[in-house]
Amino acid sequence: MNARAVAAWSAACLFIVLFTTNPAYKALVLAAAIASLAAGAGLRRMRGLLTGVVLIAAFATLLNFVSAHLGATVLFELPASIPGVGGPYTLEAFAAGLSGGLTVAAAIVAAAPFSLMLASHDVMDALPAALSRTGAAIAASLNLVPSVSASFLQVSEAQRLRGWRPRGPRSWAEVIVPVVLTSVEGSIQLAESMEARGFGSGPRTALKPSPLRKLDWVLVAASAAAVITFLAAHATGGAADWYAYPALSPPSIDIASLAACLLLFVPVVTWRSRA
Amino acid sequence: MAIARLSHLSYWYPGAEEPALRDVSLLLDAGLTLVTGPSGGGKSTLLRILNGLVPHFHGGRIAGVADVDGHDVITTPTRTLARTVGFVFQDPELQTVYDAVDREVAFGLENIALPPREMAARVEEALHAAGAAHLAGRSVRTLSGGERQRVALASALAMRPRLVVLDEPTSQLDAEGASMVLDAVKNLVEQGRAAVIAEHRLDRLLTQTSASLIVERGSVSAAWPAAPSLSATRPMRSSRGPVAWSLAGVTAGFGGRVVLDSIDVAGHQGEVVVLSGPNGGGKTTLLRLIAGAMAPMSGKVERRPGRIAYLPQNPTALLHRPTLRSEVSLTLERAGDSEPPEAILNELGLLAVAGRYPRDLSCGERQRAALAAVLPGRPDLVLLDEPTRGIDAEARVALVRLVSRLRDGGAAVVLATHDPDLRAALADRELSVSGGKVLEATRSSVPA
Repeated sequence: MNARAVAAWSAACLFIVLFTTNPAYKALVLAAAIASLAAGAGLRRMRGLLTGVVLIAAFATLLNFVSAHLGATVLFELPASIPGVGGPYTLEAFAAGLSGGLTVAAAIVAAAPFSLMLASHDVMDALPAALSRTGAAIAASLNLVPSVSASFLQVSEAQRLRGWRPRGPRSWAEVIVPVVLTSVEGSIQLAESMEARGFGSGPRTALKPSPLRKLDWVLVAASAAAVITFLAAHATGGAADWYAYPALSPPSIDIASLAACLLLFVPVVTWRSRA
Repeated sequence: MAIARLSHLSYWYPGAEEPALRDVSLLLDAGLTLVTGPSGGGKSTLLRILNGLVPHFHGGRIAGVADVDGHDVITTPTRTLARTVGFVFQDPELQTVYDAVDREVAFGLENIALPPREMAARVEEALHAAGAAHLAGRSVRTLSGGERQRVALASALAMRPRLVVLDEPTSQLDAEGASMVLDAVKNLVEQGRAAVIAEHRLDRLLTQTSASLIVERGSVSAAWPAAPSLSATRPMRSSRGPVAWSLAGVTAGFGGRVVLDSIDVAGHQGEVVVLSGPNGGGKTTLLRLIAGAMAPMSGKVERRPGRIAYLPQNPTALLHRPTLRSEVSLTLERAGDSEPPEAILNELGLLAVAGRYPRDLSCGERQRAALAAVLPGRPDLVLLDEPTRGIDAEARVALVRLVSRLRDGGAAVVLATHDPDLRAALADRELSVSGGKVLEATRSSVPA
């Protein structure tokens, strides 16, 4: 799988989901992203991601529902004297929050192939030569990420057995400080190791350059077509915007915009063959 | 002809008043040069001079002459010297850039922009030379520590360096992993390469060594090391007391995976129980169960009330105070013990660095610092996970004396180790932890 093709698809998903205000298209993009990721990475590996995405989307929805006391359809009302949450709770605020939640969820899932389906060196190989050194540094630092959570567990356990007990925010310094210092020391050692192997000498090459193959080109073409079609539909008044306020109305669906979103399902075919 | 030449070289780390290396003059020839000396004596600094990490990466002040294969180290950047000097670090996990073995080995070649068609052959050659050809195509994450160090060695060899430098490459490894790495180093030397290695496990290398240096307090001298014997330090065993901890029908593991299956085992006061067995066999899990740091899936864990002293595998997990003395004082305060911190610092040979920031210490000193941080006073239950990692022979002798004293004072001691000398010096009872089971082992049958 070529990281440039994946990047083209992710960019198309992100473009549509951030460009439109219409929750129907956002939901379609989210569905395309989930289906594609399931085809490429498998549902089992997605479990944690999906749980996180549902929680974030739920939080975004709830936040808007609680904080935006706008809209015509009042579901219930809390006394205005309650600071922050007092006021009318409306169906429109809930729908607007849900639309925002869909945006966040679709954006996260669309970017997930980089962590779930590609190795750090795949991403590095796809970077232009001018960015390859930065890419190598990022790839190396990403490899350190799992060690930070392991370090947190190890430090908190060791300190607990040494008599430490969490008593207020300041007491956490005994855990946080060693974790941070250990991570920093790890980064320095990694940097030392990279320097000792000639990192920063000049332009780099790659062991296995990763060319775009036929299916990658299909994905790039489908992603480009999706963006162009969606933009064209919007320019001709097809991909109509949607507003939750002042009174809730169903989002309109346009055939061309719908087709653009459906093009984002192409990886379900191309990535399944890889998986 | 000498590969490296140092003449009247002195080096000060940034902000340091005392030099880490003082007036060092030496010649390094082909063959294997062994670098030994006490922890914190300057071994790592000397090795880093050879590829320019000192002074180019670490900064500081340097005086004198350092020349490696015709390159002036003081004016040549490390990234240029990387083509001449390959370097293998202590910790296999902290020198990995990529997750795929072949990509990891090729990292240096990519940095010097070798054409891809030449790179594949160089990667294969390097993996073969490091005895890691069978690891090609594997994910680094799935490798053992010893396998990772072989990959690190292959990464250094891929650059076809004239000199390979290894800084205590086995200090973080178990006996099997250490054997893997040291066998690979011996093969390199037999192939005619020049190598410099700082290492505490001398017995494996002495027959191959063509020169030996002792680095102590920043000074370097040519001499053959004489390691103190642990067996001579074995103290008399006191009689054991009542049961201090027990596991009855315990099954334990992580994420649904069973690591220990229906085990029944117990330990007594005044007894040292040594856990041995392969990596991943469940030694650390057993220690954590005894400590109460993890709950069993089923069965019952019991321990007598009292203070627990637990040394985790990674000593840096403990160290966070501004000085080593305050690190020890913290444990004593929490234990309500009036013993002065200097007592254990003296016992472990750390009195001279008591006022230093623990994380500024060398790897071996850190391990001793962590021991000092958990073992002061009178703990009732002592649990040590690989306590001899990276420490020199004298420190191991001090550790044996300390553990024996605690045992004789009535503490129940459980330690997990791959170190056969430590096992022979301390074990009252040996348990082999492997394949989910814990078996009483006779010494001759315990795997390293």
